[in-house]
Amino acid sequence: MTEPAITVRAFFERVRAGQLVAIRCESCGQLAIPPRELCPTCHARAWQPQSLAGDGTIASYTVIRVAPRSHAAEAPYAVAVVTLKEGVAVLGRIVDIPLGSLAIGMPVRFRPLVVSDQASIGFGPA
Amino acid sequence: MRRVAVIGVGVTKFGLHDRTSAELFAEAAADALTDAGIPASAVQALYYGNVVGGETEHQLHTGPQAASVLGIPSVPTTRFETACASSHAAFRHAVMEIAAGVSDVVMVGGAERVLNVTTAESTEYFAYASDAVWEQRLGLTFPGVFALIARAHMQKHGTTEAQMAAVAVKNHRHGALNPKAQFQKQITIEQVLKSAYVADPLKIFDCCPFSDGGAALVLASEEVARRHRKPVWVLGSAAASDWMLLGDKRDLSRVPATERAAAAAYRQAGLGPDDVDVVEVHDCFTIAEIVATEGLGFFEPGAGGRAAEEGRTSLGGEIPVNPSGGLKAKGHPIGATGAAQIAEIVTQLRGEAGPRQVDGARRGLTHTLGGNTATVLVSLFGRD
Repeated sequence: MTEPAITVRAFFERVRAGQLVAIRCESCGQLAIPPRELCPTCHARAWQPQSLAGDGTIASYTVIRVAPRSHAAEAPYAVAVVTLKEGVAVLGRIVDIPLGSLAIGMPVRFRPLVVSDQASIGFGPA
Repeated sequence: MRRVAVIGVGVTKFGLHDRTSAELFAEAAADALTDAGIPASAVQALYYGNVVGGETEHQLHTGPQAASVLGIPSVPTTRFETACASSHAAFRHAVMEIAAGVSDVVMVGGAERVLNVTTAESTEYFAYASDAVWEQRLGLTFPGVFALIARAHMQKHGTTEAQMAAVAVKNHRHGALNPKAQFQKQITIEQVLKSAYVADPLKIFDCCPFSDGGAALVLASEEVARRHRKPVWVLGSAAASDWMLLGDKRDLSRVPATERAAAAAYRQAGLGPDDVDVVEVHDCFTIAEIVATEGLGFFEPGAGGRAAEEGRTSLGGEIPVNPSGGLKAKGHPIGATGAAQIAEIVTQLRGEAGPRQVDGARRGLTHTLGGNTATVLVSLFGRD
């Protein structure tokens, strides 16, 4: 049995500490967001953690005005798919950027978002 | 592999019902048996779609429950859950059971009940079809998923909010011709454009409604189907998946699972997009119809919005899309949707669609998308 390079729990513990981490395939070099057991490119099972700088650009975004029950008090809020400079992309909550100024291609920077003791990915001004 | 036909269809009215999802399915299923002209005792299996029964009705194990309420408790039944594509996935597996020679007559159905809970609750339950940790925690909603797709499509291709509005107006115009539709009133471009944003750039009139409803189909082997008045043949049925996380999707302006499922279904049928006369696509949001008509090969990537605006997808246009009114106007009881789309195409190919009939339709296609675009099913149908 192989230990996973980064579990979901470990990923978000690092997020809470202000770090964004990916995994890189030792066999073919493919970069991915965990969790992933096999490399989707070469099917090897040999991941190593790799730190991400946290700099990226908005690939797409939306302002959510009708929220799910558990987020109703937060609306309106923006979420964006952000392509990080290393090439992988993740969804994050936009913080400290006026909703009206959001645009595809806008540079943003990762920051941890901790709400009721739960860590998630945020992106603020670059 | 044996040929398979649809010989019976049944659909409840979509909208608000004071009945459980099992009751809604059973009404549709009994209608489908009557339509097929065969007794319930002929049914050898039930393939069933239901999605949020656990959340809205505190009900799992919905397959045998549905069979019991219908009155055929002893047949083997399995519930399929591929988010909004559930009963289309159920259909594909039922087709394979008959094609493989395991059964001669199989029922496919689905039902959903969500209007017994608040919009905030149903918005939350539908979001369960996105990733719990990576996406739900951020407050992502399904309008939000398709808003991200819409924004990417607008950026890449210049698609406009007015083009998306044209899809809503067209589907409401079609829905006004469908007595089973949840909305049977026409709307204007101005009404759509002036409606409130749900998730920018999608407005309330870009979104399909929450709906209760049920749908059912009776499938049969060629030998049984030949005794039926108007069998509609299954020419192809394919499923495809894609990455679950939005961040892993390389190009948000496309739905690769649609392109893959369509390619496989066309290959099975020996047909291409030009051979199709009528289509039911998964227009959970107006942008979803635009991207679907591109992925299915009716229009080039980026040309779907303009095509809708020019009326090319209207009844009377070159490729009528969603003559039923689509999810947008007919309604979207998610577990029932795939089966209901197939029921519409069967009705069209029989020439029994009344005022919304596509004249002379011989070949039809259904396209159903699950959740965050990670599941798509495409099936092709034809008449003798």
